[in-house]
Amino acid sequence: MQGNTPKIKPGIFNNHPDSRMITNMNSCVHCGLCAESCFFYLATKDERFMPGRKADLVTSVYRRYCTWQGKVFPKLVNARELNGEFASEMTDLLFGACTMCGRCSMHCSTGVDVPYLVRLGRTMLSEMGFVPATLQSTVNAALESGNNMSIPLTEFLDTIKWMEEELMDETGDPLSRIPVNEKRKEILYTLNPREPKFYPLSISAMAKIFYFAGESWTLSSEMYDVTNYAYFSGNNKEAAIIAERLRKEMKHLDCNTLVLAECGHGTRAFRWEAPNYLKQQFPFKVISSVECIADYIRKGRINLDPDKIKVPVTIHDPCNLVRNGGVINEQRYILKQFVKQFIEMEPHGIDNFCCGGGGGQLAMSEFNERRMKAAVIKAEQIRQTGAKIVVTPCHNCIDQLTQVNIYYKLGIKLMTMAEIVAEAIIPHKTNF
Amino acid sequence: MKWYYWVAIIPPVLACITCLRLIIRLVTPGRPEDFSVPAGNISESIRYAYTSSMNPARKETAFLHLPTYAAGIIYHAGTFLSLIFFPFIWLQLSPSEPVIFITSIVLVSSALCGIGILIKRMTNSRMRKLSNPDDYISNILVTGFQVTTVIVLNFSSAYFTYFIVSGLLFLYFPVGKLKHAVYFFAARYHLGLFFGRRGVWPPVNEK
Repeated sequence: MQGNTPKIKPGIFNNHPDSRMITNMNSCVHCGLCAESCFFYLATKDERFMPGRKADLVTSVYRRYCTWQGKVFPKLVNARELNGEFASEMTDLLFGACTMCGRCSMHCSTGVDVPYLVRLGRTMLSEMGFVPATLQSTVNAALESGNNMSIPLTEFLDTIKWMEEELMDETGDPLSRIPVNEKRKEILYTLNPREPKFYPLSISAMAKIFYFAGESWTLSSEMYDVTNYAYFSGNNKEAAIIAERLRKEMKHLDCNTLVLAECGHGTRAFRWEAPNYLKQQFPFKVISSVECIADYIRKGRINLDPDKIKVPVTIHDPCNLVRNGGVINEQRYILKQFVKQFIEMEPHGIDNFCCGGGGGQLAMSEFNERRMKAAVIKAEQIRQTGAKIVVTPCHNCIDQLTQVNIYYKLGIKLMTMAEIVAEAIIPHKTNF
Repeated sequence: MKWYYWVAIIPPVLACITCLRLIIRLVTPGRPEDFSVPAGNISESIRYAYTSSMNPARKETAFLHLPTYAAGIIYHAGTFLSLIFFPFIWLQLSPSEPVIFITSIVLVSSALCGIGILIKRMTNSRMRKLSNPDDYISNILVTGFQVTTVIVLNFSSAYFTYFIVSGLLFLYFPVGKLKHAVYFFAARYHLGLFFGRRGVWPPVNEK
């Protein structure tokens, strides 16, 4: 990790801070009660991983550069200069020991928004060139190729063609299609690049749902990537470039609703953060695919076989979709339509523990060992349910849990929401 | 009134001015602009942030640490009680004997909680690593304020000591973490705003 030591205060403090920043920079009372809310701390008992410690790294820089107390009495209030050594310590903890899952904030005795502070810290480090190279290369891939896995256009189109054939087999309808770049459809559907690269069947699964719902929809070959890893790297300019591409493609294809694929951070980054990167409210509807599927069920547009899934099933709540995105009950509503034995993890919903793959962790191989060690909390949560299938509406979580499954010998099957719904769908004739 | 009564009023006035300055600083920039389309009831969420979300049964930091949480609540109650009594003591208005008795019991309990929290901060390695000198000074000053409030309520000869300790506390207010008296409310507001916009708070039962 290379970086320059700033001689002046970090750029994020140069503009007038808003009340959210001032509040969060000054609110932590160092009670230390947040420790048990963090799975990194719970799994390792490493005191450096306490959320309060991570928040303090960022607030100590604020105190040093933005408060008279930090300038006059730096030792008294622990105000620290942001030099190269300190930046390395921050990089290790803010990138490598926090997924910005927000569990600590929800339980904080004061109400400090720790992930907000961690992301501000990541922005500081990004300005200094301290973003881990592995994470930055994922961002660069998206910037340079249009998707974070640098999938060539021909490869993408070949995969879609292949999945279209799968869809025909599934529906028994030789006319069933996966539309690409079609204008004025109701829905533009995005993908996580992991789907065309590693899990193409999840594309045909969602296509099957759209088919039986009689939906008017399309994919884009120009901009289908739902992810935005610049949200994790802390670079707002790069995050804005990636978000703007999707906004422009929506405008270009003139669709009414953008349905974000099963990707927690992608949903968060576009639905909740992108309007602020781009300083505008989008003139189209933005929903997650989970909400889309739930809506089809409620409206009777798809029918599910209530006896289809007989083995115990649990759900892992992706932090960015649930705790930070408000999609809390829809996934439960869907599963309860056709799962005989639905078992909740404890805790679950907005209190659920992160799987350990969020915050860009999966992209940063240098932290692999720590990531897998911290995942013991999630592994035990899953084990205690006795579930044979773990459903999670997030490809990032799927990747992490696939590794957790092997590492902790859980013996579970992992499925996205679209995959399990497609399995339970009752075929019927459509007007599509 | 002796000269030090007039001097003693200066630090609390300065502390009040600091509070006002902090509030103006928080309010002036306005609510951070957010262009995302809200999914929930923001005002209900803010209400929830100040009320039910603080319920110890819902808050992991409370139910996993009940002794510390209870000590913290009692300690803060003692601080507010001491602050309420400050103007009465300054004006030399003596409360009735039962009021002094009950107040003394509460303040002795709260001061003991403060000492307990201080000992925990000093002896628990994870707390020690999280703490800076300001954390210790703030605790000592607040606990000292509570103790001297009990003393002055029971022994009128202790006014000078009381005003020295309260003066130090109020003078220190703008320096360190005591400012959370203002920031706490702002933090709850912003948390309510964040989770409310996204439809996370207040939690709803499955539809």
